[in-house]
Amino acid sequence: MQVFLDVLGLLFKVFFFPGLAFTLVVSFLLAGLDRKLVARMQRRVGPPLLQPVYDYLKCLGKETIIPRKANRAMFLAAPLLGVASVLVTALFIPVGGAAAFSANGDTVVVLYLLTLASVTVIMGSAASGSPFAGVGLSREMVSMISYELPFVLVLLAVGRVAGAGTALGVTFSFADIAAYQAANGVLLGHVALLPAALAMLLVIPCEVGQQPFDIDEAETEICEGVLAEYSGHPLARYKLMHNVKMFVMSGLFCALFLNIQTGFLLLDGVIFAVLCCVVTFLSMSVPHAVCARFKVEQVFKFYWTIVAGLAAVSLALVWLGL
Amino acid sequence: MSNFPILAVMALFMGAFINSLTGRRSRRVGNIVVFIAMAIALCLMLALIPPVFIEGQVITYWMGGWAPEAGWAYGIGLEVDALSLFFGLIVTIAVMVSGVYSFTYMAKDDSQVNFYTLFLMLSGSVLGLVLSGDLFNIFVMVEIMTFSAVALTAFRNDYEGALEGAFKYLVVGSIGSMCILVGTALIYANLHTLNMAQMAAMLPTQHNTVLVLAFGFLFVGFATKAFLFPFQPLAADAHAVAPASISLMISGVLTKCGVYGIIRLCYGLFQNIDTAAVQYLVTGFGCVTMFVCVTMAFNQHNFKRLLAFHSISQVGYVITAVGLGSALGVSAGLFHAVNHTLFKGLLFLVAGAVQHETGSLDLDGLGGLSKKMPRTCLLFLVGAASISGLPPFNGFASKWMIYQACFAKAGESGNFFYVLVCVVALITSVLTLASFVKVAQSVFYGQLPARYNDVHDCPAAMRAPIWVLAALCALLGVFPGFITRFFLKPATGAALDATAYADQMLGGSHAASAADFQLLGNWSPLVWVVLLLVVCCAVTIVAVSAKKGMAPVLEPAPLAPTDREDVCVAPENAKYEPFFSGEESEYSQVGGSDLFWGFKENWRKYFSFWHRWHSGIVNDYALYGVVALAAVLLYCLLFV
Repeated sequence: MQVFLDVLGLLFKVFFFPGLAFTLVVSFLLAGLDRKLVARMQRRVGPPLLQPVYDYLKCLGKETIIPRKANRAMFLAAPLLGVASVLVTALFIPVGGAAAFSANGDTVVVLYLLTLASVTVIMGSAASGSPFAGVGLSREMVSMISYELPFVLVLLAVGRVAGAGTALGVTFSFADIAAYQAANGVLLGHVALLPAALAMLLVIPCEVGQQPFDIDEAETEICEGVLAEYSGHPLARYKLMHNVKMFVMSGLFCALFLNIQTGFLLLDGVIFAVLCCVVTFLSMSVPHAVCARFKVEQVFKFYWTIVAGLAAVSLALVWLGL
Repeated sequence: MSNFPILAVMALFMGAFINSLTGRRSRRVGNIVVFIAMAIALCLMLALIPPVFIEGQVITYWMGGWAPEAGWAYGIGLEVDALSLFFGLIVTIAVMVSGVYSFTYMAKDDSQVNFYTLFLMLSGSVLGLVLSGDLFNIFVMVEIMTFSAVALTAFRNDYEGALEGAFKYLVVGSIGSMCILVGTALIYANLHTLNMAQMAAMLPTQHNTVLVLAFGFLFVGFATKAFLFPFQPLAADAHAVAPASISLMISGVLTKCGVYGIIRLCYGLFQNIDTAAVQYLVTGFGCVTMFVCVTMAFNQHNFKRLLAFHSISQVGYVITAVGLGSALGVSAGLFHAVNHTLFKGLLFLVAGAVQHETGSLDLDGLGGLSKKMPRTCLLFLVGAASISGLPPFNGFASKWMIYQACFAKAGESGNFFYVLVCVVALITSVLTLASFVKVAQSVFYGQLPARYNDVHDCPAAMRAPIWVLAALCALLGVFPGFITRFFLKPATGAALDATAYADQMLGGSHAASAADFQLLGNWSPLVWVVLLLVVCCAVTIVAVSAKKGMAPVLEPAPLAPTDREDVCVAPENAKYEPFFSGEESEYSQVGGSDLFWGFKENWRKYFSFWHRWHSGIVNDYALYGVVALAAVLLYCLLFV
């Protein structure tokens, strides 16, 4: 009986809360909110809040065209694998205190799963055989190299603060980070980590591929780049992946810097969703509304100097025990 | 049992001689001889697993029965502890795979009897090196190894640059061998023994300038054999021209000799790895190697040259981990060493398959082969995912251990240097991934040039050994706990416990104990591999059920034979032709080698510096080697 209940509990966690259902609802919400907010900042009315859902359903109804030059299997499998990997990533993000899945070293798992998601985009576009996609994938590659360095530095800095009490002096586990924040207040209040938090806010739009860092999709220059040849179902999956990535990245920020536990699961969920909206607004909507698209080499330079510099300052401060 | 090691080495050497006697008449008989020799060596190594890894024995064998008298070793001995056997297994498995692959791959070459004779000499010498308990014997084996490898590099001497690559390897490799000889001589002059067990017992108590210099010489010697920075240009030149099965041997097996030598040297003989100076030396070498080589790989146009730089970059990981001096570090290094042999071997064999079928290794000219060689492409993706450290493959498991070891070291020592090492390792991993995306795009995806329309997949006999490696990559990635418990812990214990090594050989009874270390995260890949599969299936089911109302998927129509590409533009621009409306004169930032334009543009000074540095002139390379030797000797004198 106990085993049965455990399994049931796990299934609930994976499929409903804080798992897939919660993820999907909040993802679409965030995507809709982002579009609405950007529109308001640009003095437009903007689409309805549920527009991403309509877009998704519309895409599903469209014909799937596979180019002749494409490698069929990889072309179709890549979006599927991409969606799967971001959904699995979402399962590791703790909402309040509890994640659907938790393992020691899950921050590194998340890092790698997000990389895997980018790689699937790249492989899919490589398989399409289109030269536009070729340019797009080269740019996606560059943006991946760009944000990975500050991202790693941020994770190390946070892990060092939260794991200061452990035997090895560092932690790679969301559970430890959550426990530290439950005991000592949120990490955003830690002065030495403020530059890291800022760096993380800047990493988010590049990782998600949001304007002004969407160099890989730049529709006016390279016809949607990596997505150039996609239509119908696979395109819908990429759109879904994009939305879930928004959730994962803003959720990751909340988990690392703003983890608030009340003890009530549902309340935690609501707070988490609200915080995600705030992070989305700050990190994705505002830059989108304010900045024009960056050039390829500018993105790289920006991330490896300013953003990585901020994260490195944090890491150094944390290491000195401040 | 005690004569298994010598029999394994002899089997390979005897195979070489018998092959040269019989193989000239009939290639089939020759191949059978080669196969039997390799199988005997492999079986003997496997038979040693239960006593050495499980019971913790150390197998010793004295040649000619010259057992030690009163604690002094006079004869030549073989000593197999868990560390030696670990490398022995890597060697014999790689030799088996490489040999079986060669049977098909080399089938069209002439004078194969020479090839297999040299191949077995190479294999025997490498196995002899890792099993030997005698430092001078190690030098002899290094010499046999270097010369047979040089000859094999130039085996296809009709290739452009084959003789040149071999010549560079010969010259700079000789500097390395000379260093090992000088180091051995200095130790012999001081301690009057060549037996490593006896050295291990005597060296830690003695500390004088000559012995410190000997350490420096031996370190540089083994670093040459592992092609660490600044010796990496040799590997690139040799790999690009050697047959693929020999590339596997050079990258998977020969570099391991260097790694083995450095572990034995720092942990077994001098036991000075717990001093900070030696840790900086070894880790620093590893760190520079892994970063410089991975960035060099960005600029390559030749498939195997690119793989060569990556190979050395991964060896850099191994050395970095080994230099940390902790049990976790050694385990991580050993794990990455075996993984490196597997995935790098796989990738070289795939490159060989591509070359076998298309006759080209030019990344700018190939393309779209996934349609013509789908199975090879799948194998390539496994190898690329492994080397880039993507879960669930083995590269991830071992790199994960390396990161942990670095960070644990940083936490224990409070030294920021090791945090930097960890960051460099993570960044190198991302750059590796980026670089393999380039290979995937330039070789297997993208557009298929018209001249490769009738290419087909390589023969099954060539794919079979690659499948073995791919399966091992996946298995080790999904069950890292297994190899950690049964192989890594005993081998690490053997590396760390030098007294056991010394004692057992000289007739004592100090038993080796398996090392114990705590992993930061009990990484259980199985859980989320299942998770990933479940989510994949769920998405597929949703997709399929929603497909009913959908228009049918367009079947790819057979390609109409057009000769447009041949007429309009030069073939090397064909891939990106539509992007420029067919105009060939415009500069393309996406040509295979320019895929990372945004990255390289920012780093152009760095890249042009290294471009000039890799001058291709053997005098320069020899000079770099000598400068490195001088620097290491000075460092040792001042700090060690």
